[in-house]
Amino acid sequence: MATFAKSLLISLIFISGIQLSPGAQKFTPKNVEFFEKKIRPVLVEHCYKCHSADSKKLKASLYLDTRAGFLKGGDTGPAIIPGDPEKSLLIEVIRYTDTDMEMPPKSKLPDTVIANFETWVKAGAAWPEEEASKAERIADAFDLAKRKSEHWSWKPLAPAPRADGFIDYLIGEKLKEAKLRPAPHSEPVTLLRRLTFDLTGLPPTVEEIERFEKDVATDLELTIASTVDRLLNSPHFGERWGRHWLDLMRYAESHGHEFDYPIHNAHHYRDYVIRAFNADVPYDQFVAEHIAGDLLPEPRLHPENQTNESIIATGFWYLGEATHSPTDVRGDEAIRIDNMIDTFSKSFLGLSVACARCHDHKFDAISTEDYYALTGYLQSTRRNEHKHDLGKKIARGIEEIEKLAANGNQNLKDSGTQVTPPANAPEGLLLPTNSNWFPSGHAFGDSSIPALTWIPVKNSITEHAVYDSGRYGEKLHGVLRTPTFTINGDRVHLYVKGTAKVRLTIDGHFMQVFNGLLFSGTLKDIKTGDKWQWVTLNSKDIAQKSGQKAYLEIIDSGPGAIEVKAVCTTRDLPKIEETLPANSDAKNPEKQIAGKLKDLSKAARKISDAIPNPSATILSVTDGTPENDYVHIRGSHKNLGKEVPRRFLTALGGDAIAPPENASGRLELAEQVVSRKNPLTARVAANRIWHHLFGRGIVPTVDDFGPMGIVPSNPKLLDSLAASLIEGKWSQKNLIRQIVLSKTYRQSATPHTDLSLSYLADTDPENILLHKAPVRRLQAEAIRDSMLAISGRLDPKLYGNSVPVYLNSFMQGRGRPKSGPLDGAGRRSIYTSIRRNFLPPMMLAFDMPSPFSSVARRTISNVPAQALTLMNDPFVVSESKRWADSTANIKDSKTRIKTMFLQASARRPSPEQMKTTLAWIESHPSQKTAWQDFAHSVWNTKEFIFLN
Amino acid sequence: MHCQNFRPSSLTRREMLNQSACGFGAVALSALLAENSSAEKADYNPTDPLAPKKPHYAPKAKNVIFLYMDGGPSHVDTFDYKPLLKKFNGQDPRQAIGKLEPTQFDNIGKVMQSPWAFKQHGESGAWVSDLFPNIAKVADDLTFIKSMTSKFPEHTAANYFLHSGSGLQGRPSMGAWVGYGLGTENQNLPGFVVLNGGLIPPGGLDNFNSGYLPAAYQGSVFNPGNTPVANIKPAESSPALQRRKLDLMRQLDLSSKERFAGEEQIESAILNYETAFRMQAAVPDLLDLSGESDTVKKMYGLDSDFNQTKTFGRQCLLARRLVERGVRFIELTCPGGNGDRWDQHNNLLDGHNKNCKTVDQPIAALITDLKKLGILEETLVIWTGEFGRTPFAQGGNGRDHNPFGFTTWLAGGGVKPGVSYGATDEWGYKAIENKVEIHDLHATMLHLLGIDHTKSTFRFSSRDMRLTDVHGHIIKDILA
Repeated sequence: MATFAKSLLISLIFISGIQLSPGAQKFTPKNVEFFEKKIRPVLVEHCYKCHSADSKKLKASLYLDTRAGFLKGGDTGPAIIPGDPEKSLLIEVIRYTDTDMEMPPKSKLPDTVIANFETWVKAGAAWPEEEASKAERIADAFDLAKRKSEHWSWKPLAPAPRADGFIDYLIGEKLKEAKLRPAPHSEPVTLLRRLTFDLTGLPPTVEEIERFEKDVATDLELTIASTVDRLLNSPHFGERWGRHWLDLMRYAESHGHEFDYPIHNAHHYRDYVIRAFNADVPYDQFVAEHIAGDLLPEPRLHPENQTNESIIATGFWYLGEATHSPTDVRGDEAIRIDNMIDTFSKSFLGLSVACARCHDHKFDAISTEDYYALTGYLQSTRRNEHKHDLGKKIARGIEEIEKLAANGNQNLKDSGTQVTPPANAPEGLLLPTNSNWFPSGHAFGDSSIPALTWIPVKNSITEHAVYDSGRYGEKLHGVLRTPTFTINGDRVHLYVKGTAKVRLTIDGHFMQVFNGLLFSGTLKDIKTGDKWQWVTLNSKDIAQKSGQKAYLEIIDSGPGAIEVKAVCTTRDLPKIEETLPANSDAKNPEKQIAGKLKDLSKAARKISDAIPNPSATILSVTDGTPENDYVHIRGSHKNLGKEVPRRFLTALGGDAIAPPENASGRLELAEQVVSRKNPLTARVAANRIWHHLFGRGIVPTVDDFGPMGIVPSNPKLLDSLAASLIEGKWSQKNLIRQIVLSKTYRQSATPHTDLSLSYLADTDPENILLHKAPVRRLQAEAIRDSMLAISGRLDPKLYGNSVPVYLNSFMQGRGRPKSGPLDGAGRRSIYTSIRRNFLPPMMLAFDMPSPFSSVARRTISNVPAQALTLMNDPFVVSESKRWADSTANIKDSKTRIKTMFLQASARRPSPEQMKTTLAWIESHPSQKTAWQDFAHSVWNTKEFIFLN
Repeated sequence: MHCQNFRPSSLTRREMLNQSACGFGAVALSALLAENSSAEKADYNPTDPLAPKKPHYAPKAKNVIFLYMDGGPSHVDTFDYKPLLKKFNGQDPRQAIGKLEPTQFDNIGKVMQSPWAFKQHGESGAWVSDLFPNIAKVADDLTFIKSMTSKFPEHTAANYFLHSGSGLQGRPSMGAWVGYGLGTENQNLPGFVVLNGGLIPPGGLDNFNSGYLPAAYQGSVFNPGNTPVANIKPAESSPALQRRKLDLMRQLDLSSKERFAGEEQIESAILNYETAFRMQAAVPDLLDLSGESDTVKKMYGLDSDFNQTKTFGRQCLLARRLVERGVRFIELTCPGGNGDRWDQHNNLLDGHNKNCKTVDQPIAALITDLKKLGILEETLVIWTGEFGRTPFAQGGNGRDHNPFGFTTWLAGGGVKPGVSYGATDEWGYKAIENKVEIHDLHATMLHLLGIDHTKSTFRFSSRDMRLTDVHGHIIKDILA
């Protein structure tokens, strides 16, 4: 009886939630026997492969081989609550009720076994007295500081030589060590071709070649230096180097996925990049603009239009894929943010931070907390469509109207108006006065308008604090965003007057403009006339997302205007007049000032009428309600761990500069990324420039400076180049100039004659030490652009809307756009629209990357599909005809052959080649097509597509 | 001097090199030797990415035919017989089945019995519905997985997941992984061919892409018709003219050779022209069905009065011909004309009748034909959708997406015939016995091809990427 009483007592203790300390329990032999017979064998058979001290790989940090393991639980909390099977996670998962977690994973246990587990838990989860825990569990091996101290790329730049000729000196050191000699200078005209392609992506023209040869005869060094300057100053420089950058930014003009919806206005970003390279915007500035161009206190302005240039860069965050109907919208957001973090960290830092999404980085000094410290910046950031203000005319007009407003409001104040302040708002009622809203664009101004404020353009006085997109007239554009709130049921209400669009953005989902599937009711047109009223967004789809984070966007894309006083996030509407009592003074301006206000108003309206419409829409970002993110345990957003404050990577200074209150902190993040204390930004940028000029980086894994990457072949040179970049005020052109004027770059592609091929094959088979210039295949764009340039079809126009991609009959699928012209309107390849689901096959055949993720180094393949393209692609065939036709005015066959050789390979034919070609043309069966067939053959020669 | 190159012969690479009379045979031979030495390791060789590579261990299958049932066929109407649905027909599934997961369209109707009768077939007694009278006849050759699951209830992500092991766009397709792992036996045809019946699945051509693997491994989509792939048809009016142009190219290449001394990439690029030239002939040869007997054509349904059957029959016959030519991975997509693929959110009766009629006879013929020719045992045939369908109606007469349990079947190379593995619950709603993930299907497929899925990796984004990511278990119980 005593035993029974005791066990009853124990059960009672458990049921009432009081626990004895583990190990202190004594269970009845009967219960222990039940465990040994019915429970333990099941655990051994079905659970211990993944959840015991003997597991090869422990899953979910959960041990089920001790009772303490059950109580402590794993990543998702305790496995059991002794005495309460219904609250025990273990019971839930073996019942297979939640498809996200079903255990054992392969097959459901028989119902009788599940019942046994319920009985066992209910009776307190009996367990025999445990021996001293055999599990000497390995402590977390992740040691960030140790990893940082052990890996080269985290270390500060080493002092390294930067005197004139440092490149050749440092390359020479390594060559000497290997008993190698540099190759002699290449032939000048070979160098000209190399330079022209490397700097502009185009071939030198016949005129340029002939001019160059003439000048070289007088002064070789001067000619080369001035040629380099000419090419660096060519507007085509930005197109070439901009394209390299677009690879990193996974630049595309559509969202991919099922219907490949367009990314509107993406081309402005492409143009921004080209302009920035041409203007040689300092690289630190360029990076800062990408991260926080919308927040810079003094944005860079377009030299002619005076529009905000810096903000355009921020569009890069949103150039990724997007899907229109995610069933799990928060999960979808996590994927999108992951892609942003990945692009950010690989491009600017050469780090694979995204590897730390599910667990601490396997190899590098990057923790999961580091990852979620960064995602917080993006949780606090919102997608925005910025409108350009051409010549700052809008801003100036607003400034003038504000002056009149100040004047009139002084009069109003002097007349002694009295405001009745709002009462305490009930829960869920957001007012401009009790929460932080985010106006962007021009229409709403920078802030809300306080109660009893005179608005000059309308000559009216506000009754309560209000956001008003008509305050400067009706044609301006603007978006008002509410603070982030939690969806609470099936509806959200706005108290408004006027005309606008409203959108409920849930967990950052912005695709309902294309397709409302699963997001019905989140987009609505407001039209209340001049009546204040509640407008409600209400749908089953909103209800389904209850508990998720959202904000409202009130979009006035002009004409018309809207006034907003409140948003209510609870189902039932409060009585608004109880919170916002009437302000009678709003309707009674004192008689003596009425006339004065009328005059001021007239002046304001005149200014308002003269304000022009905005000029362009720019994909960009803007700050929203600041939010920290939480660690997603094993990468699952359904399983949150601790909150992580927003900060930079621990190994690069962490929270040295904390985000200010009420801001995302992106500006401070940018500051840390380009700080001189961070050795990675300059190293990665310098290495990338080297990579583009030699086909191989000093660190060949251009986007991975971590332990999984390859160590630098010449660390001193890397640090010298990085330091040189910084000291040259981050001028990329400056660094490029230094490199291409080096002897190393100017070497011939044929090794020094003293070096035997077998010695080279043993010592430096891959030319890593650069004992000669590398032979490189032209990139996809350079091949196509060359053909256009040579055939005379090239339209050198810069910038603008993309030319629709030409679609052959093999490019099928949902969202298929209209085909563009075969020759892409003669524009350079960078201006062909990049639709994720309809990428141009010729470009893909020559390794243009598919833009799903940041690519710093293209693969270089060499496959028959490339030969088939050059042999049979209709574009190649039609351009070779055009080329032949363009040379028809050269009557002498020999001159014509010579010219065409020069155009294609910057080289004159050898006598043997001349003889062969002439004979071939003369004996051609169809004289009508002889020249175009010759042209086509030349484009298939290796000298055309390879650079030596 | 006239070369014997660019001739429409089907010489092997080595024969071609030996016959080459132009003096760069030696150059090419060194490339060939390099190719053989690199075959030892499964690494990527940029100058000859498709050279045959040694598998990790002896393969059971050499080729894969992937019959992709785009849109999600209903398992409870085809192979997964659930008598309980009849008993509870018309009742509220929330009462009958219990808690339901959110469905894509959240328009939950009543429990819906299958409109088709089920019978057991063959010695194995496999349950097959009346939708597949011909496939039922080869049921003893099939291996059913009745407990397949997916992670995505929506087409695009589920398609990417099925094809690449990831729900995101831009990852390498399984056919690309097979090419990467094994190379290809026939240098004149691509290693991964998609026979497009007319419907490119949601997610587009990226379902067949090489992602971060080199472009050489991407699937070549063959459209119906006589010019199935772009740029395969010579641009010239006569073969002689093309040969003449290529001869000039080669002479010019030879005379500039010294400038590129020792550059293997140039030599490979030259060699590519030989291959490309032969590919131009290999493709029309593949498509020329005049050598097939009328009996065979009839067996595949090429004389069917239902157009879609004709289309799919031709695809199946071409799949066999591709296997005979050593193409590693062949995927078939569905013909258009049957409504929205297998995606019968409504009109289940009409849609599934047509879809089944389209594929039933051709697939049965393919299995029979491969078996008769003795190549079924080295060819792995896989039949699956990206998910199954709900046992309850969506609205009135359709079924919604169901990733929690559905049926996939395999046949041929290295799998046990006449076996059924795993099970869904009594409703056909969720897999509860021997649950199989797409990763497991991938792991098993690679295993049968002789590839260890944990060892076939490609370094990208600082990680050694795999088709199965960090997942995947070989389904040992179905191995022969």
